[in-house]
Amino acid sequence: MNILIIEDEKKVAQALEKGLESEHYQVQVALTGEEGFYLLASREFDLIILDLMLPGRDGLEILRTLRKTDTRTPVLILTAKDTLGDKILGLDLGADDYLVKPFAFPELTARIRALLRRGRSDQPLKLKLADFEMDVVKRTACRGQQTLPLTAMEFDILEFLLRNQGHVVTREMLAEEVWKETERATPLDNVIDVHIGRLRKKIDEPFTKKLLHTVRGVGFILTERES
Amino acid sequence: MTLRPSGVRVRLTLWYSMALAGTVLILSLYVFFFVRARLFSHLNLRLESDFKAVSQDFLEDPNENPEIEIENSVKIVQIVKAGTLFYQTPAYQKAGLPRLGKLPAAESRTVRSSSGARFLLKTDLVASDVLLTVAVDEEPVRSTLRTLAVILMLALPIALALAAFGGFVMAGRLLKPVAAITARAEKISAENLSERLPIENPRDEFGRLAGVVNHMLSRLEEAFERLRRFTADASHELRTPLTVIKSVGEVALQENLDAAAYRDRIGSMLEDVSRLTRLIENLLTLTRADGGHVPLGLVETDLVRLVQRAAEDMRPLAEEKEQRLTLALDGPAIVRVDEGTLRLALVNLLDNAIKYTPPSGAITIRSRIQGNDFLVEVTDTGPGIPPEHKDRIFDRFYRIEKDRPGQAGGAGLGLSIAKWAVEVNGGRIEVETREKQGSTFRLVFPMSKKSA
Repeated sequence: MNILIIEDEKKVAQALEKGLESEHYQVQVALTGEEGFYLLASREFDLIILDLMLPGRDGLEILRTLRKTDTRTPVLILTAKDTLGDKILGLDLGADDYLVKPFAFPELTARIRALLRRGRSDQPLKLKLADFEMDVVKRTACRGQQTLPLTAMEFDILEFLLRNQGHVVTREMLAEEVWKETERATPLDNVIDVHIGRLRKKIDEPFTKKLLHTVRGVGFILTERES
Repeated sequence: MTLRPSGVRVRLTLWYSMALAGTVLILSLYVFFFVRARLFSHLNLRLESDFKAVSQDFLEDPNENPEIEIENSVKIVQIVKAGTLFYQTPAYQKAGLPRLGKLPAAESRTVRSSSGARFLLKTDLVASDVLLTVAVDEEPVRSTLRTLAVILMLALPIALALAAFGGFVMAGRLLKPVAAITARAEKISAENLSERLPIENPRDEFGRLAGVVNHMLSRLEEAFERLRRFTADASHELRTPLTVIKSVGEVALQENLDAAAYRDRIGSMLEDVSRLTRLIENLLTLTRADGGHVPLGLVETDLVRLVQRAAEDMRPLAEEKEQRLTLALDGPAIVRVDEGTLRLALVNLLDNAIKYTPPSGAITIRSRIQGNDFLVEVTDTGPGIPPEHKDRIFDRFYRIEKDRPGQAGGAGLGLSIAKWAVEVNGGRIEVETREKQGSTFRLVFPMSKKSA
């Protein structure tokens, strides 16, 4: 998968490049709008990450030009502008998703996965990790032979973690996906931590192999490997 | 912005002078025509009495005495008998009046002589075949009128000039406070907002204007002061997590650690980055609130459901502290609100209540409809708010325990955000507190008549 990053802030661009490469994507970086234009004209990409405030050519201008010829390649906008008007403008011009700086890297990769998956209906109704299984339709979860008594909220959290298994999920992502929080300032972090603690008691404590891990300072991950 | 006192001054003078010129003109015309009418009617009366005197004189002795005694001031007389000139005074001849004798006219009229002078003249039959003509010179009357006209015409520009001058001076004097206000206002900027405009007479219009501007300046000064304090507090709050990040990073670099330990240090730094991010998000929310640029999606919403959801979302936190979270909700209450911001307020209030209530304390959320209002009350059994802090708890960065910044979790923004979020949804927030017994935060939302 080829990803083009058009981002003028060198450190951000490099961090994104390294991070995405470690997730096994091929990454190309353009530090100016012009360079981005040139790269877009010369090769094909599977996804474009676009900063809006660029010197020279503005990100929205690049998007507008791109959408004249190419309507398919997903574009993810990264920007420090976070008002509703900015979002609507970007999405109206043909962007597929919008992420406000500062963003959590796991959230970016989750959005990238979602964009690249788009069009393919691979939303399995049964989710599985090691001996842990979840039935999304019946809303049941079990580990080994044992059925786990989960509350509705715990089920939703676990489903989201399981769909992103092997990838870190941040508290912001949980607030947005599970609580459907629209205001980023709503203080839910403590609530999320309590739920995670309870989930851990239910799905990990009675078993030797731990699945739910905390990544300090970032979020949580559901994985077989030890962290 | 520049006031133009000179412009206003010139315009005032102009209007004033024009109004005065109009008045003087109308008055002059009135005086002229009034005097003229009076003088001519007087002349006419004299002519009538002259005519009467002459005709009586003639009728007393019509044949024998051709020399008519001219009495009074009657001088211009002509008598035509049977078509021939019977008698005429030398003055009549000298005046160069035409010889009349054809049509008798009952009314007097103005006749122009051959020399151009005008005479008021009356001709009538005094006996059969006897035509008497008497005239008086109009010249003295006309000359008086001419003089009057000249006087009046001279008076108009003089009056106008005086009025313009007086008006200009007066307007200048009236506008002097404006000039003073302008000069002072120009010097006031963000740096010296404590200065005020001079007020000469607080009761007149300019005094009131200056008073209003001064009041505005006071509010501006307060706003600037708040902003200054806000910036200072914000920098202070930002510095704390930054210091942690910096020192953890620096220390980690000096040490020789294994990968797991480094990972842990980076995680610790990221925790404070999150804290920083959250703080900036809160600041942004408040900054935007100040600008009034928050687009609200107002929809008819059942507040009871919203309160219930927020409470259930926060319940795990209370459970962790073994607190009793009790709901006593009376509804539904349909109010037009923006769900996102209102939820922000509710979650912040509940977070606060849980935070400050000791373990195994109780938190009660009540809602009821009172008149046209919908009330939500969050009562905690925390330490309460000391009276000296009560008025300031909604202030940004205000914390009761100043010495322990950030210990209880927040930066002192939760309540200000809650207050803003409630107010932006048309409600208000009140607090009742009893020291050592707890506090009640009450949200009041006016409901539309329909749903009440």
